[in-house]
Amino acid sequence: MAYRILIVDDEPALQAMVGEILARAGYETQPALTCTQALEKARAWGPHGVLLDVMLPDGDGFSLLGQLRQVRDLPVLFLSARDEDEARLRGLGLGADDYITKPFLPQELLLRLRAVLRRVYREEDAARLGRAEIDWGKSALRRDGREIPLTAKEFALLKKLWEARGNIVTIDALCGALWEGPLVGYENTLMVHIRRLREKLEEDPSHPRFLLTARGLGYRLRREEEP
Amino acid sequence: MKLRGLFKGALLLTLASLMVAALAVVGLLGFIYYNSQGGQNWDAPLQQLSQTLTCEEGDYTFSGEELLGEDRWAMLLSEEGQVVWSCRKPEELPDQYALTDVASFTRWYLRDYPVLCWVRQDGLLVVGSPKGSIWKHDIAMETPVLLQTPLWFLGFFLLALGSVLGVGWLASRHWFGQLQQTRDAARSHWIHGVSHDIRTPLSVVMGYAAQLEEDPALGPEARRRAGAIRAQSQVIRDLVNDLNLTMRLDWEMQPLRRELVQPAAFVRQTAADFLNGGMAQGFEVEIDLPSTPLPSIQGDPFLLRRALNNLLTNCVRHNAPGCPIRLGAGARQGQLVLWVEGGVLSRHESPPDGPALEEDGGAAHGTGLRLVAQIAAAHGGRAVFRAGAPYRCEIWLPLARQ
Repeated sequence: MAYRILIVDDEPALQAMVGEILARAGYETQPALTCTQALEKARAWGPHGVLLDVMLPDGDGFSLLGQLRQVRDLPVLFLSARDEDEARLRGLGLGADDYITKPFLPQELLLRLRAVLRRVYREEDAARLGRAEIDWGKSALRRDGREIPLTAKEFALLKKLWEARGNIVTIDALCGALWEGPLVGYENTLMVHIRRLREKLEEDPSHPRFLLTARGLGYRLRREEEP
Repeated sequence: MKLRGLFKGALLLTLASLMVAALAVVGLLGFIYYNSQGGQNWDAPLQQLSQTLTCEEGDYTFSGEELLGEDRWAMLLSEEGQVVWSCRKPEELPDQYALTDVASFTRWYLRDYPVLCWVRQDGLLVVGSPKGSIWKHDIAMETPVLLQTPLWFLGFFLLALGSVLGVGWLASRHWFGQLQQTRDAARSHWIHGVSHDIRTPLSVVMGYAAQLEEDPALGPEARRRAGAIRAQSQVIRDLVNDLNLTMRLDWEMQPLRRELVQPAAFVRQTAADFLNGGMAQGFEVEIDLPSTPLPSIQGDPFLLRRALNNLLTNCVRHNAPGCPIRLGAGARQGQLVLWVEGGVLSRHESPPDGPALEEDGGAAHGTGLRLVAQIAAAHGGRAVFRAGAPYRCEIWLPLARQ
C-alpha cells in the first residue's frame, strides 16, 4: 500500500521538488498551497500524513495543525524555514510528530517521514537479516527452520538496533535501553550480550556480517541491502 | 566598543551641561552686579550732584537738573534735621526730621521712596527716586560664616557637578541603549529575513542536486557536478545556520539551556550522529577517551554538539578525500577539554606544537570556528585553535560544581 502524503507549502517549486522525491520513494502526494486547500484535501482525500509549512498565505501552520487534527488524527511533520528554538519547540509542543528545518536533503526527509509513519501505523518490517528471521511476537530468531529463543536483554538489544538499523547506536544508548539508573560500568556486560546475540544471529560470529562494531562508539545493525 | 561610545557620549553631555550651567551662573551674576549699586556706581553721580548745589550767603543755587533727571527729587537737611533746600520734593514728605528718621531712611526707604544720601559740610543731601523703582537690601553676616563661605561654595559646586555628571551619564546611557536596541533589532530582522528567505530556494537546489547525483540515467561527470552543487548548497546551509546562531549569541538572544552533561557519552553520541549523517564518507573517526570516568559539566548539549559538529565538519572539508579524525575528551588543569584533531598524526605521538591562533579561530576561518569560540565563551570557557598539520581545536570548559 502506498502512503498518501499531503504537502502544504506556499512555494510551488518546493512543492514540485518534494512531490518528486516522495513519488520516487513510492508515496502518493497532493499539493496544498493554503490552509483552506489543506483542510479541504485532508477531508476529501484522506492522507496518511502531512508535511506542513509554518508560514502560509492565509494562516500559520501551528493553527492549521490543530484544525487538521480535528478533521483526522494523522501524523504531521513540520517542514519550515524557521529554525529558531522557539518555533521548533512550539511545533513539537503542539503535538507535531517531527520538525524538519529547511533546507534539507531528500534522504533526510525520507528517513524521517518513514520513521514517523512506521511509528504511527505500527508498520511491521520484514525483519530478516541474511538467513535469520526475527519473530518479534515470540522474542526469537528463526534460522534454517530452527527457532532460537532470545533472552529479554538480547531481545531489547536487537530491537533497539533494529529501530536504528543502518546507524550507529552508542554504547550509552544501548545500556540505557537495557538497564535503568547510572550506566557506568555496564560496558563489559553489554559486550557479553552482544557476543551472545552474534552467536545466535550470525553465521560466523567471529566475522559478523550484520551486527557490526563501531570502535569506541557502539554498534550498528547493517541493512540487508547495504554493500 | 559599546562602553567607549557610552563613555564618550556621557562626557560630551556632561561638558555641554557644565558649559550651560556655567554660562547661566556667570550671566546671572553679571546681570545682578551690573544693575546693582556696585555695577552702576551710584556714588559718583551723587557726588557730582552735590557739587552742583552751591551756597552763597545762605542762598542755594542748583545747576544739576540734568543730572537729577525728570523723575527724581532732592533735598538738603541741616544738622538739626531741618530741610534747608529742596527740588521737586513730594508734598507728603515733612520739612523736619528726627535723628531716628534719618537713621532709618539712610539705610532703607523714606515713606516708601528709595533714597540715597551724601554727607556735605553744610548737612545731608538726600536724593529720592519714585516709589517702587529701586529695591534696597542689606546683608549682615557673622565673620566666621563669611570665612566659611568659600568652603560652602566649593561644596555646592561639587554637588552640582556630581548631579550634572550623574544626570548626563544616565541620559546618555538611556539614549545609547535605545539607539543600540534599534540597531540590533534592524540587524536581527535583516539576518532573520535573509536566512529565512534563502532556505526555501536552497531546499529546492539541494533536493534536485541530490536527486541528479543519484540518477543512474546521467553520466558520471554530470552526477559529479550535481554532487558538487549539493555539497556547496550544504556549505551555504551551514553558513546560514552558523550566521544565525552567531548573531543570537553575540546579542545574547540565545538562551543557554544548561544540564548535566556526561562528557564520554556526549562525545560518543556526537560522533555517532556525525557518522550516521553520512558526512564523513572516506574518513575514519577515532575516539580518544580516558579509561576512568570523566567529571560532568553543566552545559547546553545542543550548543556543545553544534560546536563539535562544526569542528568535525571543518576537518572533513579541509582534508578531502579522507584522513583519520580524532575526537576526544580529557580533564586538564581542573577543566574539561573536548578536542578534535584532523590529520595523519597517530594517537601515541606527542601533541602537535603548532602556533596557537586567535581565540576566535582567526578571521580567515569564517563563521564556523568563530561560533565554536562563542559557544565556549557562553559556557565560561575558551576555544584554542592550533594551526599546522594536524589541525587541532580544543574547547576548554569549566567542570560542574560537585
